[in-house]
Amino acid sequence: MNAKKRRQRKTDLTGYLFILPNMLGMILFTLIPMLFSLLISFTDWNFVKGFGNWNYIGFENYLKMWKDEWFLSALCNTVILAFICVPVTIGLALIAAAAIDRFAFGKLPIRLAMFMPYISNVVAVTIVWVMMYSPWGPFTQMVKMMGVKDPPQWLGDYTWALPAIILMMVWSNVGYCVMIYTSAIQGLPRDVYEAAEMDGAGEICKFFRLTVPFLSPTTFFLVITLFINVFQLFAQVQIMTKGGPGTSTNVMVYYIYKSAFNYYNMGYAAAMSWILFAILLVITLIQWKGQKRWVSY
Amino acid sequence: MKMKRTIALLLAGLMGISMAACGAKGTDGQDAGGNKTGAAGGSETQNNAGDAAGNGAKDGAGDADGAGSGTEPVLLKIWGGVPPEAGPQESVDRFNEAYQDRGIQAEYVYYVNDDNGNLKLETTLMAGEGVDAYMCYDERYLSKRIEGGMALDLTDLCERDGFDIKELFGEEMVTSYEYDGVFYCIPTKRDQYGMMLNKDMFDEAGIPIPTEWTYSEFREIAKQLTHGEGEQKVYGAFLNTQQNLLTTFQYFGVASLGGDWMYNEDGTATNFTDPVMVESAQLAYDMMNVDGSAPTHVDSVTQKLSCDGMFMNERTAMVPASWTVRNVKNLESYPHDFVTAFAPYPVPDNAEAPYIMGGVGDMLCINPKSPNVDACWEYVKWYSTEGVVPLAYGGRIPLCKSIDMDEVNEYFFRDAEGLLDEESAKYVMIVPRGSYAFPTISPNAAELGDILSEEMEAVLNGKKTVEQGLADAKERGDALLAK
Repeated sequence: MNAKKRRQRKTDLTGYLFILPNMLGMILFTLIPMLFSLLISFTDWNFVKGFGNWNYIGFENYLKMWKDEWFLSALCNTVILAFICVPVTIGLALIAAAAIDRFAFGKLPIRLAMFMPYISNVVAVTIVWVMMYSPWGPFTQMVKMMGVKDPPQWLGDYTWALPAIILMMVWSNVGYCVMIYTSAIQGLPRDVYEAAEMDGAGEICKFFRLTVPFLSPTTFFLVITLFINVFQLFAQVQIMTKGGPGTSTNVMVYYIYKSAFNYYNMGYAAAMSWILFAILLVITLIQWKGQKRWVSY
Repeated sequence: MKMKRTIALLLAGLMGISMAACGAKGTDGQDAGGNKTGAAGGSETQNNAGDAAGNGAKDGAGDADGAGSGTEPVLLKIWGGVPPEAGPQESVDRFNEAYQDRGIQAEYVYYVNDDNGNLKLETTLMAGEGVDAYMCYDERYLSKRIEGGMALDLTDLCERDGFDIKELFGEEMVTSYEYDGVFYCIPTKRDQYGMMLNKDMFDEAGIPIPTEWTYSEFREIAKQLTHGEGEQKVYGAFLNTQQNLLTTFQYFGVASLGGDWMYNEDGTATNFTDPVMVESAQLAYDMMNVDGSAPTHVDSVTQKLSCDGMFMNERTAMVPASWTVRNVKNLESYPHDFVTAFAPYPVPDNAEAPYIMGGVGDMLCINPKSPNVDACWEYVKWYSTEGVVPLAYGGRIPLCKSIDMDEVNEYFFRDAEGLLDEESAKYVMIVPRGSYAFPTISPNAAELGDILSEEMEAVLNGKKTVEQGLADAKERGDALLAK
């Protein structure tokens, strides 16, 4: 008995030693900073003043943001962005994945090509998109060819800047979703499809009645990760528009960055980060609850 | 249960060990540093150096002395935002030559003077090592750093060495850099900004180089100088709004409004609806959207235009950025053969304009955490009173009154034959022209600037009228200041 226990302990120890380096990194670089940010979110810390120079101000940071028009615009833009970007991306990816699986020759190169944007460097990709949206870029030229005399200046336009960023986000995320979907599709039971064919189901019927429900767990996973992804949008905005024109592309993470590093309000920025966390948590919880209704098996 | 506790203990122990290891490493490093400077100076100096490292930054005298008698010199790291080839490297080389036998050597570390570059500097300062002295280029950053204890109080050092900042640099110039009677920095440069003009284009159009002009005269000249269409279009002026939406306020209107142009008299509210503000906003709007004599704001943003590119590639006759003068000599990046001339900024038509856009700049600070404060102070004294001269090559004019202006002129116009118009350059950039618009207050300056920029953007994009935009900016700005 004792020997067995000792052996068990030894195995456990090996296991813990294996996760130790990662665990240490996680504690040092994630857990401690997280707790620290929670702490300073209740202070008025201005980070240039160095450690320790802060006053406890209770929930003031958490209260004042609801009167801060920059925060409200950022929240609003982020929500619009997410609620357009995520469904469009998922829808496109689902259709593309099904089409690739059914009709395409050389699935692998196509899937790889679609995956490229996801693994390419964000900065490089964004700069290419800035050029595409420039007055000499393909978008402007296309609109001109369609007969519009005075095409919008995409990124410089109050109405079009956010859609322009949404389009780029969709483009860069669709490939990833297609990748996940196609691998899921390949695992679907073929016999069910054959049975449906025998019963005279067409392509569209099979897609909606079989593929979509079969893929619902994958969709669920993608929706959650995409939401988190899109809410964290930063680099693209920083490079393309700096939140402008006006506040039309001001998103949450960008404003958090600005408060922290341009206005030096670390406490306020930390408080907004925690609100961002809370929002994401709520969205994820709602989806978690809601999944019972639409996620089959 | 018991096992869990053992493992927790083990984990905690391991973490403790690893942290102790990190800590030990730090101490080692510090010791090594102390020994390095003191080693050659005998045991007494070594103690000194050790003490200095132990006692903290301010007591760094031992280091400098120890190094003086040894072979291993103190190496100072000086951070600056001017590209090394535009003067700083020559300055540092001169210093190293002069201080070789006094055991102090310096190294110039170039940081890009933008948001990210300044952030890098600040985080290095917070970390404590790696910066001995550094340049500040913006009052906003300077005051933050002083409040944050990142700049050394120079009072004692000045008193000890009889270094009278007010006497050396001019009392009226430096008083606004005195914080509660204390200097934390030494301003080293005198700024006098103006428009940079393409003299060849002016000559071709038969327009003399202006020595003073109003908004309407400026607008008229810009219109005359505009010609061509599409990508070939040459604009009369470029207003640099993609970089700074406040150009016509901050550089032009400031002549009437003074350094605290954003605020009312006592700083309790903003000044955004002042007639001069309205006139300045209107000027930008008219030139961009009515006359077409300046690239529109949207074009400037979406095409990523810049003063450097627009002016040096002859796509505009005027830019409001005389600080880009260093490009003129950079024929490698900007091959050109036209002559660059200068003019003061245009002033509002309907208001007195007693101020000159300019002031002092390049504020040199010492990092209080530097282990070589005394050596650093030697460098600061040397740089501010003589070492700054080579920077005139890149267009920076020394502030110190005792500096020989002929030598400055020599550096300023070196390698610039046929590229710089000497007469207007001296008038606008070098010879003092009047009282500068010094800022004295700055509550929420960054946020106010952003509010005004946003409203100004709406104005330039035609979303709001000038009056509406400025009224909205005032409402929002006042609300911010009232908090």
